[in-house]
Amino acid sequence: MESLFILIPLSLLLVGLLAWVLGWSVKSGQFDDLDGPGQSILMDDDAPAPPKVSENSQK
Amino acid sequence: MKPNLVCYHCSSTILPGELLEADLAGVSRSFCCPGCMAIAQTIHGEGLEVFYARRARAGERPAAYLASNEIPEKLQPYDDPSLRSRFTRPSGKSDELETTLRLEKIRCAACVWLCEQHLRGLSGVKDVQINYVTQKVVVRFSPSQTSLARLIFEIERVGYEAWPFEPSLTLERSKKERRQLLTRLGVALLGMMQVMMYAWPSYVGANDITAEYDLLLAWTSWVLTVPVMVYSAGPIFQAAWRSVLSFQQSHMLGMDVPIALALALAFIAGTINLITGSGQSYFDSITMFVAFILAARYVELLARQDAQGGAEALAKQLPATCERILDYPNSQTVALVPVVNCNPGDVVRVPPGEVVPADGSLIENASALDESLLTGESKPVQKKIGDRVYAGTHNILNPLIMRIEAVGQSTRIAGIASLLDQALLAKPVMVSLAEKWAAYFVAFLLLSAFLSSAIWLYFDPSRAWTVLVSVLVASCPCALSLAVPTAMAAAQGAVTKLGLLIVRGHVMEGLVKATDLVLDKTGTVTMGQPELQEIVCLRPGFKAEDALAIAVALESGQKHPLALSLLRAAQDKQLSIPTLSEPVINILGKGLSSGTYRLGSAVWLGITSKSKVGQYGQVHLADDAGLIASFIFLDTVRNGLDDLLASAKRRNITVHLVSGDDPATVAWWANRVGITSFVGAYSPEDKYDYIERLQNSGRFVWAIGDGVNDAPLLARADVSIAVGTGAPLASAGADAILTTVSLSPLAKTLLVADKTAVIIKENLLWALVYNLLAIPAVMMGWVNPWVAGIGMSLSSLAVTLNAWRLRKA
Repeated sequence: MESLFILIPLSLLLVGLLAWVLGWSVKSGQFDDLDGPGQSILMDDDAPAPPKVSENSQK
Repeated sequence: MKPNLVCYHCSSTILPGELLEADLAGVSRSFCCPGCMAIAQTIHGEGLEVFYARRARAGERPAAYLASNEIPEKLQPYDDPSLRSRFTRPSGKSDELETTLRLEKIRCAACVWLCEQHLRGLSGVKDVQINYVTQKVVVRFSPSQTSLARLIFEIERVGYEAWPFEPSLTLERSKKERRQLLTRLGVALLGMMQVMMYAWPSYVGANDITAEYDLLLAWTSWVLTVPVMVYSAGPIFQAAWRSVLSFQQSHMLGMDVPIALALALAFIAGTINLITGSGQSYFDSITMFVAFILAARYVELLARQDAQGGAEALAKQLPATCERILDYPNSQTVALVPVVNCNPGDVVRVPPGEVVPADGSLIENASALDESLLTGESKPVQKKIGDRVYAGTHNILNPLIMRIEAVGQSTRIAGIASLLDQALLAKPVMVSLAEKWAAYFVAFLLLSAFLSSAIWLYFDPSRAWTVLVSVLVASCPCALSLAVPTAMAAAQGAVTKLGLLIVRGHVMEGLVKATDLVLDKTGTVTMGQPELQEIVCLRPGFKAEDALAIAVALESGQKHPLALSLLRAAQDKQLSIPTLSEPVINILGKGLSSGTYRLGSAVWLGITSKSKVGQYGQVHLADDAGLIASFIFLDTVRNGLDDLLASAKRRNITVHLVSGDDPATVAWWANRVGITSFVGAYSPEDKYDYIERLQNSGRFVWAIGDGVNDAPLLARADVSIAVGTGAPLASAGADAILTTVSLSPLAKTLLVADKTAVIIKENLLWALVYNLLAIPAVMMGWVNPWVAGIGMSLSSLAVTLNAWRLRKA
């Protein structure tokens, strides 16, 4: 039971860290668009990587 | 003509003589125009063809100039320093620029993906960030390798449109507000999670826990509750304080007052109990309460912020560039310049199909202008030399030359936009049902809390404080605060599926209360698009089909609304179009001729026509021997109007038709669709006054419109809906936007609104009954806090589940 004296302050630190991570991710705009990343993962699978386009991409 | 031959890119039917074929990935594909072919080749050329498999809906026909790789002239001015500095900003390292573009014609996620992939592939583009929700793209590029005009052109080359977007202050502020509330909510949720974990021993009644561990857990909880109180709940305390300060004027206490009071008292009591080492600490209740309230507010904020600002919409309505004639009248050489660089006195040329960039007067080449967005008049307006032309109207006939008299904020369209802003400010604030109930509830709650505390003070002073806090905590207005937002959120989800996008939250409550429905004519009741109604005055020996076929042959390639309508009619009848032996000559303002055939207005052909009211127009086909046939066009009624009018009638809503079109036409249409109250020739200001008069006589007005001329009306009305295909300015003033072509979703929305009102009442009733049962029990000192906590959660859950029933509507 004595371990609680170290574990509980540790959990406090962990919560503090989580709050900081949350603040950072909100500030960097990760919650501004909740649809996009999910869609783009679905879109990107098995599609070949787009080659660099030259100034004239037409055949 | 082969049936069902559709364009690979835009899925429109390919007209005879338009068919183009190209080999893509080994398969021969058909195209309707060089633009579509160029787009498909670009997409395939970059290996992005999976787009065609994934897109949800087909595109629109693009402009023909896309076939070449040259940046078209109309985009060139974006590289002019004056425009470039307005739309780009230096970014990070070295000489890179950053710009925000707003994408248009986006229909599905595959469209966004295609734009993003295409831009990423360009040389000189460093970074592309697309927001799927707002449809804005932020591009970072190096100006030495590419340019703003090139970026816009490249988006057009894959079939979309983009226009540079000037980030406004309000936008920045709303983003900050959103992020701040989200962080506050996150902190509250984290606090709630942890504090509940520490409170677990006391929930399960662990008696073997020793005093020092109990103290450790309690103090840790306290440490976690402080940031929730100070940071997360900070705005609640501020709002409560403001509400108390303004009590003298408003005579109403906001929802925040009891919340703040309960939080503060519970926290102080908890802290005192913690220091003295006896009694409950309440920290779990506090953090949970804050988290729930903030979650509800966040959902509400998201819905509210979707609204688009008036200034942004205005920018979209006007072109960015215009053709200025430098040395008028000595030469006709034009230079393409940004509209912002034009001044009154300048002479500009407006080609057919383009939008007039500024207010001014016509000085050369009479033309016809489509002013329907400004005035509601459905037919093109003939303009003589010396007539005034207005910014935002479409030139449809001849390349006109005009002298600018007003630019920017002094134009007619900007005047309407400012009327819109004024109307939004003057809009009567609807006191929502929830606020009204909350005010009663708050008064009742505070009274009972202090009354019970006073009574306990008389009998047993030691318990007075505990009872005061318990009443405030247990009577938690949780269920009450959830009752309305949950029902609203569920109802919004349901109507979004029907095709109505709610921008401002009070729509559902407003629809239930509406007593009057004000409709605009052109573009709302009617489609503002002519359809061939009948072919009359047929010369003996000719069949109607033959006359139509000749007319279509003459009109092929024309983009006039009447020509397109003839083409559609011929397609429906699957006519084969004859080829004319003589070339078609277009006589501007009069009609078309080929050999002996002539197609055009009655005046030009020298015949007298009997024009009926309500018609969109007529054209006549003649040859040397005289009239062959007359084609009569009629505007078409929007789908679903019957449904809407029928459900309005069932609810005893008075329907008004208010239009800028001429009174005779309005009367004809009102008669045709069965509306008894109608007025015509109304300016935007008149419409605004019309609504105001109705409101002053105690009516609750619901308005539907589409044009710029409807924007002030939509902003002024108690509840307003803009037709999505209409002007951006109209959408800016409206509370909701109809995304479907048909009006029948509105009839269904009325039913959902009714159901929502019923569910909100059920929820409020339930919350009240719960509180009426719980508060006396707590007042008597019977209920211990964790029982109250469970009761509170169950009542919130019941309210939420009840609201969820609306999703299925």
